[in-house]
Amino acid sequence: MKQTMRVVAMVAAMALFVTGAAFSAPAIKVGHLADLTGATGEVGKPYAQGVQDYKDWVNKNGGINGKQIDMPMFDYAYDKNKAVNQYKKYKEDGVVAIQGWGSGDTEALSATTGSDKIPYVSASYSAHLTDPKKAPYNFFCAADYSSALRAGLKYLKDNWKEKRAPKVVFIYPNVPYGIAPIKGGKEYAKEIGFEVLGDENVDLKAIEANSQLLSVKNKAADFAWVGGTTNSTAVILKDAKKLGLKTKFFCNIWGADESTPKLAGGAEEGTLVMAGSTLYGSKVPGMKQLMKITNNKPQVTHYIRGYVSMMVLTEALKIADKKGQLNGPGVKAALESLKNFDTGGLAANKITFTATDHRPFMTTNIMAFEKGKLVLKKTIDLPRKAEWLGL
Amino acid sequence: MQYCGDFRTTYEKDVKIFQTPFIKICMGFLGVALLALPYLIKGEYLWIALQILIAVIGAVGLNILTGFTGQISLGQGAFLGVGAYTSAYLTAKMGLSFWVGVPAAGLVTAMAGMVFGIPSLRLKGLYLAIATLASQFILEWVFIRWEPVTGGSYGIAVPRPVIGNFTFESDGSYYYIVLAFTVAMTLFATNLIRTKTGRAFMAVRDHYISAEIMGISLYKYRLLSFGISSFYAGVAGALFGHALKFVSSEQFNIGVSIVYLAMIIIGGLGSIIGSIFGAVFMILLPKLLSVATTMISADFPSVTKMVMAFEQGIFGLIIVLFLIFEPDGLAHRWKLIKAYWKLYPFSY
Repeated sequence: MKQTMRVVAMVAAMALFVTGAAFSAPAIKVGHLADLTGATGEVGKPYAQGVQDYKDWVNKNGGINGKQIDMPMFDYAYDKNKAVNQYKKYKEDGVVAIQGWGSGDTEALSATTGSDKIPYVSASYSAHLTDPKKAPYNFFCAADYSSALRAGLKYLKDNWKEKRAPKVVFIYPNVPYGIAPIKGGKEYAKEIGFEVLGDENVDLKAIEANSQLLSVKNKAADFAWVGGTTNSTAVILKDAKKLGLKTKFFCNIWGADESTPKLAGGAEEGTLVMAGSTLYGSKVPGMKQLMKITNNKPQVTHYIRGYVSMMVLTEALKIADKKGQLNGPGVKAALESLKNFDTGGLAANKITFTATDHRPFMTTNIMAFEKGKLVLKKTIDLPRKAEWLGL
Repeated sequence: MQYCGDFRTTYEKDVKIFQTPFIKICMGFLGVALLALPYLIKGEYLWIALQILIAVIGAVGLNILTGFTGQISLGQGAFLGVGAYTSAYLTAKMGLSFWVGVPAAGLVTAMAGMVFGIPSLRLKGLYLAIATLASQFILEWVFIRWEPVTGGSYGIAVPRPVIGNFTFESDGSYYYIVLAFTVAMTLFATNLIRTKTGRAFMAVRDHYISAEIMGISLYKYRLLSFGISSFYAGVAGALFGHALKFVSSEQFNIGVSIVYLAMIIIGGLGSIIGSIFGAVFMILLPKLLSVATTMISADFPSVTKMVMAFEQGIFGLIIVLFLIFEPDGLAHRWKLIKAYWKLYPFSY
């Protein structure tokens, strides 16, 4: 009797093992480098949360054609060395793609991901990452910094009423992130009839910018581009108000967000922001699901961009899986096959990548601070000019 | 064969690098272990090993300048950058070989180092530190603004070395090139400090007035020290650029200079073995801390955020504690350990 029971138990265990193995498809490994506690943690955290929340939602709703996404987050605290170390680990683990974060890690790993053939979807929107000749495995899901600057200039020029040429200055930190869009932006400004006055450098960690803003005041600039991050932008806006500047400011995507009114204390009124996504709660088809996932708790635009970034990668994973090419080159090809991919209106436009052009779209949502809140003013759609690729 | 005590009856015996057969055997084992390393570890850990080897070159170079000649430098990070950009420009933009690019990087950086070392004739101590700090900022500015050469804010993609049809594409194969450079340059430095030049460096460090009275040209040896140190930094920077396959200005900031200074202080000023210990310690510590904090956060998820945020603080704290309790560096501790085993059980 005992022996019979043993045999039955063994058969049952075998059956469980076999059926279990049959039902659980292997998980898809994806890397995720995030900055939660480093220099850019303030904006890195909501972005990373958006990425992870969308992944969790996919896993709960059938995964990638039945396969779960295995994507634990690694906080590299904006330390490039840590990011490269972790990247090597991801490579060893056999990830098919990586969700990355900032300029430092993206730039440092750009050549390596290219030769390792691992798609790297990040939040560094430097224009040269859109040129597949230079960065074949880099992707992102917002307008590049240069295109966003061009969109801002176009919006200002379109609304310029005076007969004289509008004067513009460029305020940015002397770091690659700050400098990246300046060349292309200046060329475009001259092309559409701006008078370019010159540059001012304000460090990302600046606690005052009086001398630079006095210079802007003396030049009588009508407009000033701010290519810093939230803290330095708040410093600039506060000092500009203190010095009584009449200059209108327009900021890069990381230059201002929903937290700016707190930091700038009212000095942000009227300032424009070149946003790459929609606002939380806006009436677009994709917002319903996003609000459900976030339990109706308002999120900053960075969260929405992280969410969109994972949405796009998920779509590529699905396509690559269907083709039986769930590997780096397969996911890259899938991303490059996306034509007018609809994010439910969460991104500024539908996303299209090609093998020769990794610009997702040329669209920027121009938002303005009005009574302490961001308000969408206009959506600018620029032509996909070949000469702007990578510049 | 050495019996009780440490008898050296000739000058030749006194200046031998490997003093006893036991040390030779140990070094043989170390050599075999280093050669076998790429077969034993891979991925992240192999990359860390590569970083350590490159850091050893940079730290040995800085120790020649700071530890042996007594010239404080806060510009080692920028000099690494000069080397990385030189080799990147020669190999990626001019199409020259890696084998030309890396030595050229050393030479160009040596020249840059000597230019910035000119103030060392008149300045010393903290004043010289600030002068070299200026070189850090000047060079960083050049890296980011001299776009035709450095690629400006975009940086330069750098190829891995090639011999015939073989490309050292994997970290495992590239490791052997870096290992060869590290061993050769470490041995060169060890020999250098035993030559007339090395003695002159130490004389300048210990008492520059006495050195000058003895006929040592302060200007020549201070400048030479800057040149040699920068040559090492240049080679290390070039090797790092080819390892990462990308060179950008953000990789060579003031933080890198400080880490290198910390390496030689923790390892031991005026000691080649100390430079090696310091490089290993400073490269491994962040990883060990990261592993420790991950383990803690796995057991106590509620303190995850706090532990991660404290990682940098713990890193600083360990360095401070190290300096308080081991001010002479790891090399000194190594000497004490060796003496302990040599004299055991009689500590006299």
